[in-house]
Amino acid sequence: MSAKLVFDAIVVGAGPAGVAAAITMARGGLRVILLERGRFAGAKNFFGGVLYTHALAEVLPDYWQRKPPFERPVTEQGYWLLSPDSVVRFMHKSEHYKQEPAEAYTALRAPFDAWFAEQAVREGVLLITKTTVIDLLRDGQGRVIGVSTDRPEGDVYAPIVILAEGVNNLLTQKLGLAGSDLPPRFVALSVKELIGLPAKEIETRFGLAGAQEGVAIDIFGDATLGLPGTAFIYSDKKAISIGVGLLLEEFIWHNLRPYEVLARFKAHPVVRPYLEGGESLEYGAHLIPEQGYDRMPELAGDGVLVAGDAACMVDALHREGTNLAMTAGRMAGETALEAHRQNDFSAAFLRAYRRRLEESFVLKDLKQYRRMTDFLDSTPHFMGTYINFVNDAAMRFFSAHGMPKRQMEGEIFGLLRQRRSFFGMAQDAMKLLRGMRG
Amino acid sequence: MAKRKHQPLDPELEASLPRVDVDDLIASVKYYVDEDFAHLWIKDRAVCQQCQAKPCLAFCPVGVYRLDRQGQVMVGYQACVECGSCRVGCPFLNIGWALPRGGYGVAYKFG
Repeated sequence: MSAKLVFDAIVVGAGPAGVAAAITMARGGLRVILLERGRFAGAKNFFGGVLYTHALAEVLPDYWQRKPPFERPVTEQGYWLLSPDSVVRFMHKSEHYKQEPAEAYTALRAPFDAWFAEQAVREGVLLITKTTVIDLLRDGQGRVIGVSTDRPEGDVYAPIVILAEGVNNLLTQKLGLAGSDLPPRFVALSVKELIGLPAKEIETRFGLAGAQEGVAIDIFGDATLGLPGTAFIYSDKKAISIGVGLLLEEFIWHNLRPYEVLARFKAHPVVRPYLEGGESLEYGAHLIPEQGYDRMPELAGDGVLVAGDAACMVDALHREGTNLAMTAGRMAGETALEAHRQNDFSAAFLRAYRRRLEESFVLKDLKQYRRMTDFLDSTPHFMGTYINFVNDAAMRFFSAHGMPKRQMEGEIFGLLRQRRSFFGMAQDAMKLLRGMRG
Repeated sequence: MAKRKHQPLDPELEASLPRVDVDDLIASVKYYVDEDFAHLWIKDRAVCQQCQAKPCLAFCPVGVYRLDRQGQVMVGYQACVECGSCRVGCPFLNIGWALPRGGYGVAYKFG
């Protein structure tokens, strides 16, 4: 019989949350094993996406010297409000975004996560890939004392396990920390295609001065057929990331095929010219947990903490997730270090993790937007109605047909009234305000 | 919490959706197929036969679920990108879903 494998801490999942936790604990002197089911860290991971460096800097202050594989700094960002044949753009471009390192970069997760996990290995973490954790090991009192994997004799023991297993949080559910499986109503299904184009071509099409500039656009309205969801276009070095996401329930209810919604968006007259002649490099899909603050799993149990998508730490409104995950992972790691110092791994002690998060932007933001998913839930018409209106209004505003301006203003107002009653508008505004203010 | 009220899609919008062959899209995805373990399965075939809508045929982003000539739902787990939609989206929770064994399944090159 082989010797029992014992570590100071086990981390399940080598995504942003898991790696941040592993690095934090290793730097604090713990012996850490990081288990990843993919062939390499990042093989299973997929996002839009934009990465924010503030969270990375707090995990790895010298991350910039370690040459992270970013795509482009985000030097221009904003929104497109898309109607079937028009667009109104709200874009912000600034020299301030050009500091190096920048606040945000577009990135691709397979190379980025692999790099991030490599940094953990450099800090002394034992990274084991191609290993799926199938269950948690518990003692007589139900306390988590390790994990079992699909490797022969694959049980691993530690006084603390950090679950960073991603959105399909089967282990978190098994422990009873998540009350239920993901509700289709509060989880978005996103699909993305990576379209390869020469760097020069991307820069010309998006008006970028060179590799030191990049754009991140979130798109509302016709891209999702006016249904609750968003689309995005992000510039990478030599590719464009283009995707669309809707609440899963919308796909189910309307019998929509995600790739057809994406194809329709790609063919939109405003979008098509950006993609012309590009080569499809990769397609993929991912769920985004948008349950919000009030439907999050418990974050701590006896001998266990949960971080990242597994704990639905996503701020959908600001398309933030990896930064919440990294920050939560770091705080889980700090809590585990403290638990080792006090030799107390009880749920009561580990709840300090939640208190740390409550004091950080992670739970503050999630709390502020706790009603945002409910807002979209209760006003599914919102996107279609107002975005088409804004486009029609812009058309009137920018046209000169010899119509007196007063009459033009009247027409714009009439367009709005056709779509929504005064009472309806007031209700929508109230709900939106509540969604934003928390 | 009350159920959401869905408005049916405008038929014009619906007609504007292009037909796409999803197999063309997934040709770009790298997989390591586990021939010995199907990590997706139908729990009870009788439930599928009674399911009128069969939304899994549409919402699965890689078209894992297709009908055979007899109208039975086939599970092409080899194309799965492990998103989890079918596990939670099946109206009867009739889809068995496990993680592929370590190292198998999708391996994004870019992600």
